[in-house]
Amino acid sequence: MISDYHDKIQKRRLWLLWLLMLAGLSFLLAALWRIQVGMGAHYEGSLERQSVRRVRIPGMRGRIFDRNGECLADNSPSYGIAIYLEELRQGAAHRSTVESALAMVQRIADLTGLVPQVGRGEIERHLQQRRALPLLAWDNIRQREMARLAESAGDLHAVGIVVDALRVYPQGRTAGHLLGYVGKLEVVEEDQPYHYYLPDMVGRAGLERRFDDFLAGRPGGKLVRVDVAGFKYEEISSRPAAVGGDLLLTLDLHIQQAAERALAGVVGAAVVLDVTNGDVLAVASAPEIDPNWFSPILRQAVWNRLIQDPDKPLINRALSGVYPPGSIFKPVVSLAALEKGVITPATRINCQGVFTLGRQTFSCYRSVAHGDIALRLALEKSCNVFFYKAGLACGVDAIHDMAWSLGLGRRTGLAADSEAAGLLPGPEWKRRVMNEGWWDGDTCNLSIGQGALLVTPMQMAVVASALANGGFVYRPRLVSGFRRRAEGLREEPAVLVHKVTWAPENIAAVQAGMRDAVQSPTGTGRHARVPGVSVAAKTGTSEFGPKAARRKHGWMIAFAPAERPRYALAMVVEEIDTAGGQEVGPRMGRLLHAIFGLPEEAS
Amino acid sequence: MIARMRLLLSRMDWAGLLATVALLVTGVFFIFSAGHAQGPTGQTLYLRQLVWAGLGMFCFLAFALTDYHHWYRWAWWLYLAALLLLLLVFVPGIGVRMYGARRWIQLAGIRLLQPAEMAKLALIIILARVYGAPGVWPRSRWLLVLALMLTALPVMMVAAQPDLGTASVFVPVLASILLTAGVPVRSLSGLAALAGLLLALLLILLLAPPALGWSEERHDGLLRSCGISSYQQDRIMVFLRRDADPLGAGWNKAQSQIAVGSGRLWGKGFRRGTQNILGFLPRTVAPNDFIFSVIAEEKGFMGALGIIILFAVVLHGAFRAALQAPDRIGRLLCVGVAALIFCHVFVNIAMTIGLLPITGLPLPLLSYGGTFMISVMIALGLVQSVYIRGERN
Repeated sequence: MISDYHDKIQKRRLWLLWLLMLAGLSFLLAALWRIQVGMGAHYEGSLERQSVRRVRIPGMRGRIFDRNGECLADNSPSYGIAIYLEELRQGAAHRSTVESALAMVQRIADLTGLVPQVGRGEIERHLQQRRALPLLAWDNIRQREMARLAESAGDLHAVGIVVDALRVYPQGRTAGHLLGYVGKLEVVEEDQPYHYYLPDMVGRAGLERRFDDFLAGRPGGKLVRVDVAGFKYEEISSRPAAVGGDLLLTLDLHIQQAAERALAGVVGAAVVLDVTNGDVLAVASAPEIDPNWFSPILRQAVWNRLIQDPDKPLINRALSGVYPPGSIFKPVVSLAALEKGVITPATRINCQGVFTLGRQTFSCYRSVAHGDIALRLALEKSCNVFFYKAGLACGVDAIHDMAWSLGLGRRTGLAADSEAAGLLPGPEWKRRVMNEGWWDGDTCNLSIGQGALLVTPMQMAVVASALANGGFVYRPRLVSGFRRRAEGLREEPAVLVHKVTWAPENIAAVQAGMRDAVQSPTGTGRHARVPGVSVAAKTGTSEFGPKAARRKHGWMIAFAPAERPRYALAMVVEEIDTAGGQEVGPRMGRLLHAIFGLPEEAS
Repeated sequence: MIARMRLLLSRMDWAGLLATVALLVTGVFFIFSAGHAQGPTGQTLYLRQLVWAGLGMFCFLAFALTDYHHWYRWAWWLYLAALLLLLLVFVPGIGVRMYGARRWIQLAGIRLLQPAEMAKLALIIILARVYGAPGVWPRSRWLLVLALMLTALPVMMVAAQPDLGTASVFVPVLASILLTAGVPVRSLSGLAALAGLLLALLLILLLAPPALGWSEERHDGLLRSCGISSYQQDRIMVFLRRDADPLGAGWNKAQSQIAVGSGRLWGKGFRRGTQNILGFLPRTVAPNDFIFSVIAEEKGFMGALGIIILFAVVLHGAFRAALQAPDRIGRLLCVGVAALIFCHVFVNIAMTIGLLPITGLPLPLLSYGGTFMISVMIALGLVQSVYIRGERN
């Protein structure tokens, strides 16, 4: 037995020790409470930061359709072979991941006969930069190789087929300028809230660019948990990417293709509008481009060819090409003079073939004398002298205002990319830009659509449409509706920009003159004649360039049928040798044949 | 014979035994959890731990049923044997060098045991023998010197392995036994002051030369001449400069803290500790030194609380055995064991939450490992042996 004296001391000290230990354990508990409950969120954040990666999944672009539901821009699946590195790693701990991946690439190459697309450098870069993602070893593989791979897929763990959406344009070159094209969007990854950024296709031109926000799907994302080595461990959650909206166009594929055929072999543009509501039925620009060239990637050689081509095929001439209009401007001058009352439809003006203003001489085409003629014949024959005199009589302001009210000198407001405004000169413009007064000679030039005046084919189509429907200036409607899976169809209404008021007999005289230009055997536009349909038109041959080496553009505006107009057209052909009526007339005729369902004549 | 065993068993500390078994079972479960994300070797760790736990239970019962006075006679021989084993660590071919330290003894290529764990047990027994001998005057100076020398020998040998963490555990064990035995407070505080002085000197050695602009080689040379290896220096420096080298020695600490902290109140669930699964908590240490991180991550603060309560129950049993011990040797045995277990628990948990340097002290009954398991179960068996034979009031 322990002696009493010592037993007492020992027991006291035992209690002391026990309390000390309890204090120690309590201290631990307090520390644990602070770390786990007090600072738990902080440590959870550290955990997330080191083990969770955010991956962005690109959305699929919406499609583009013509008015009859024909698809103009679509997505097609593109198959690729992916190697899942995290699985590869588990199987071969003794080899480096790069070696295993290289061996796997070689094995797939042997099996399928594909030439390896990635080498050691790409694999190493992938492991450094986007280790948690599968390595895309091949993209755009064909059905045959896929079948061969599928046959032996059983024993190829760590290999999978991945599908990517590729932008395709099923109609090839048709409406290529209008549709535009897409390119891969390269972003600076640091700016993104994502660790890994799978690039989207982004609209680079045309409708693809103008409506990129609507067409582009909403990107999805996923959270991937990675292990300490940075390889994927599991997918925590994901939000699927949403498909973008579909664009419904007013374009008529049939008419569009006819317009493009009509421009075969030349540099130029054509526009077809519906005069009743401003719907754009065709917008063609030659030479054509095929948006498929740009997808999935544009090869440098193709790009160089497009850039270096003197015909500048990348320009959409129908919208951004600006030309002096020449004689197709005469109906505008006619209406200005008629409405001001300086002439009536019956007023006869004498043409001697030339017109002298001070020391300047202006002449008719080939200086032919037309004699005493009224407006209708002047339009049919495109007499310059008639319009010099009529234009001088009514003055520049009336012509300027009439042209402005028909939409010249400003953008039509068409929902498309890079539309030009053209140039509508006047005294104020000349003072501002050239610091010079406006002379009568300027009025003479303006009266026959020459001088500083510049228009786009789209603008002239709008003018032709207003001449046809009696003064309704519509904003050309290219997009008829936006269709989104969730929201359904949102239709775009036709927009009337302006109604020009003309006396009925005045517009009737202009329309009659234009009809005669085609239907009369001596009319300048007779080459555009269509059996069974009466066509009204005005031809033009606009001159440009230095006086010593004048060059010419051929023009034609038209509407048909002349009695109850439905279609308004404008066509330009650059750098012609003959007159506009001869060069453009037959092309316009072929386009009209197609519109009215007649076989297109051989030219 | 059977009747006597029945009597002995009926007098056992059942609360302490149940807590012990609960900790053992918990350990097996979380070693399974810590190992299942690893390769094939890691996935079977828990089975081996199960074998160790079974062996441990056997030792526990054997020592509980054996009269602890039996060891009184063998105390010196056990002590000498432990010293011999500690020497064997330095014999090439028998001692195994791992992670820069010689801790293991191997035979025919198989790692057998860590002599330091056995030495702890032997030290407790010899100190109990020295201060527990009938008629010994506990205030004797000579006895104190003897006890200090008996402790210093294994401490120096373990520190030379080098295993600073394990070596440091011997000191509180000695202090608890001296305190309980009745050594005057004056002597004890003198010793404590001396120890504090030595510690201060160590810190000055570590921190002053770089501050004075000494070159690294010169500093290393000074430390080596004082018996401190660069490995030990690193470990202490990680503790002192918390942000130093976050990818090297500081990694385990940072990741263990994240594991414990992100467990929050209720934990992420069994086998759902991402720090462990994803390998941020290094897989080599998760089942042994950092098993508490795994538990705290997967079961949260509530799980950690449960573990600490279980240890408190075990410690409480040891103190009750000490209070009721029939003689001084039994009492000192129990105190030594309680101090040993408490030190391991405290240092290990404080290390996993970044309050103490990463020393590599395992958590009793929970950490994976054979030698330590056996020595802890033997120690608890000794406590039970004392408890069974204690006085009841």
